[in-house]
Amino acid sequence: MTGQLPIIVILGPLLAAILAAFTAWLRPKLSYPLVVLGLAISFTAALKLVFIVADEGAKIYWLGNWGNQNHEFVVGIQITVDNLNTLLLTTVSGIALLTALYAKRLVETELAGRQRYFYALLSLLVTGLLGISITGDIFNLYVFLEIAALSSYALIAYGKGRAYMASFNYLIMGTMGACLYLLGVGFVFIKHGTLNIDNLSGIIPTLDPSQALFVGFVLILLGVWVKMAFFPFHGWLPNAYTHAPTASAAVLAPLATKVAVYAMLRIMFTVYSLDYINGLTGIQPIVLYLSTAAIVMGSFFSLTQTNLKMIACYFIISEIGYMVGGAWLANRPGLTGAMYHLVADAAMTSALFMAIGCIVYRLGQAQLDDLKGVFFKMPVTMAAFVVTMAALIGVPPTCGFFSKWYLIQGAAEAGVWHFVAALLLSSLVKAIILFRIIEIGYNRVAHPAIEGNPAIPRNEAPLSMLIPTVAMTLGLIALGLATNTLVNTIIVNAVPAALTQ
Amino acid sequence: MENLIANFNYVIVVILMMIGLWSMLAQKNLIKKCIGMAILQTGIILFFISIGAKNNALIPILTEAAYSDPDVATVANPLTQILMLTAIVVGVATLGVGLGLAQKIYHQHSSFDEDEILENQRK
Repeated sequence: MTGQLPIIVILGPLLAAILAAFTAWLRPKLSYPLVVLGLAISFTAALKLVFIVADEGAKIYWLGNWGNQNHEFVVGIQITVDNLNTLLLTTVSGIALLTALYAKRLVETELAGRQRYFYALLSLLVTGLLGISITGDIFNLYVFLEIAALSSYALIAYGKGRAYMASFNYLIMGTMGACLYLLGVGFVFIKHGTLNIDNLSGIIPTLDPSQALFVGFVLILLGVWVKMAFFPFHGWLPNAYTHAPTASAAVLAPLATKVAVYAMLRIMFTVYSLDYINGLTGIQPIVLYLSTAAIVMGSFFSLTQTNLKMIACYFIISEIGYMVGGAWLANRPGLTGAMYHLVADAAMTSALFMAIGCIVYRLGQAQLDDLKGVFFKMPVTMAAFVVTMAALIGVPPTCGFFSKWYLIQGAAEAGVWHFVAALLLSSLVKAIILFRIIEIGYNRVAHPAIEGNPAIPRNEAPLSMLIPTVAMTLGLIALGLATNTLVNTIIVNAVPAALTQ
Repeated sequence: MENLIANFNYVIVVILMMIGLWSMLAQKNLIKKCIGMAILQTGIILFFISIGAKNNALIPILTEAAYSDPDVATVANPLTQILMLTAIVVGVATLGVGLGLAQKIYHQHSSFDEDEILENQRK
């Protein structure tokens, strides 16, 4: 049974998506419990795999048992669970499960009458994301990339008003990214004749560096950068996630971009190698400058926005800068920071969008001016929101502090001071935004505790939304407290071995 | 020059991809963007098929007699063809979603022109 766990992780949501699509047609009420069940199965399997992999090392699963014949080159598709992706698998399936529980009320009100296929699409999206994280084959990764992308176009297009146009722009950009990735895969395939990641990582170091290898690397990198909204290619993200229904944004925003970052890490350090990255002395500084630019631009634009969702979207863009920069520092603390931040940022963005979703549910929209008195109306939601923002700023003992700590340490070790400055600047900007929201939420109304002022009735979000939000927020603190265990038992084994000695 | 003529299919790949990328980025009409997307994908499909093609090669079906010692020089590479079969499916699905969205946008704004739509959205 444990041998089958890796495939169960993706089969759960995939089967749930197919069944939910059919039942949505016949019995719409059934599709929601089906999807929750599928996600729960996937989460349980992923959680179990974390412990198994931490004890026994990487688990390899061959689809249809096609890899066990004695050929020199493998013919089947491989699924790999190792220390680099166990945490991500758990995070993706866990956040998806929690968001599915959280989204029910939101979907009922926001998409009233149109929610029939929503859960099937959500489940399909999660299948794609889990597939990207688990696959051991670079072409298979492309297929899952497109499964996730296609379902996210549809999920975004569920929104009102500008959502169609935002989704269309995302489709054009996303397809361009996927095509670049596919072309890069073609170059890698010409040179090596295999698509299997383990085979490739064995072959590439033995070959002399060649143009084809380099062009393939750059094309794949450009492709995943478009998918993760890295700085020059970020144009599609803010509109798409702002105009998407809040329920879709709550699952897309934390997961979709992070999984693309994981794909980049996998390509950089497993398919290609640390030595190869260190050999690219011309590109490394450019990417680091781009990451700095991503953080600075993301922070700057988040200051100019007046919509809470838009602000959160620009936060995502600057957080992507953290991870790409951390990965390209290519030293131990930098990489540890990037890998830890994958999990931490997914959790933080999820908590942020859940809190924003609660606010939108009660206030109807999330313009900053509408937030007057919101701290009195929704104290629990806003407490969660403040803790989440503290995590994003990097206040200990939340997880945001530790990832930033590792990243700054890595940047200082590599002597990349502009990256350190950008990290600190981004914290500062987030603090400014938090205090601006506190100022609007508290001070722009007559304080109800003072006699003579009108009382502000409490109007908290429904419990079915509040509990997941609070749970996620507490999770941020728990993740921060568990940093030491995570880094020393799992992430240390995921960092390339050359760095840990 | 001779090299270019001998590999003229790769030249066509580059031309197709450039046309596709250009019309995705520079065209204002949403339908033309979708067409550009299809052209870009066709370019990539041609690229992969060119990789796997061989002179005078047969279709890649392994007979039982040749199983133990197949003569790889006489059969085309099956893997690239399989990959492109998948890529075609993905391409069709993407094009379908794209055209569906374009149709919804047309219902909303009575126009396929990007500038007019943006103008409409500002109102």
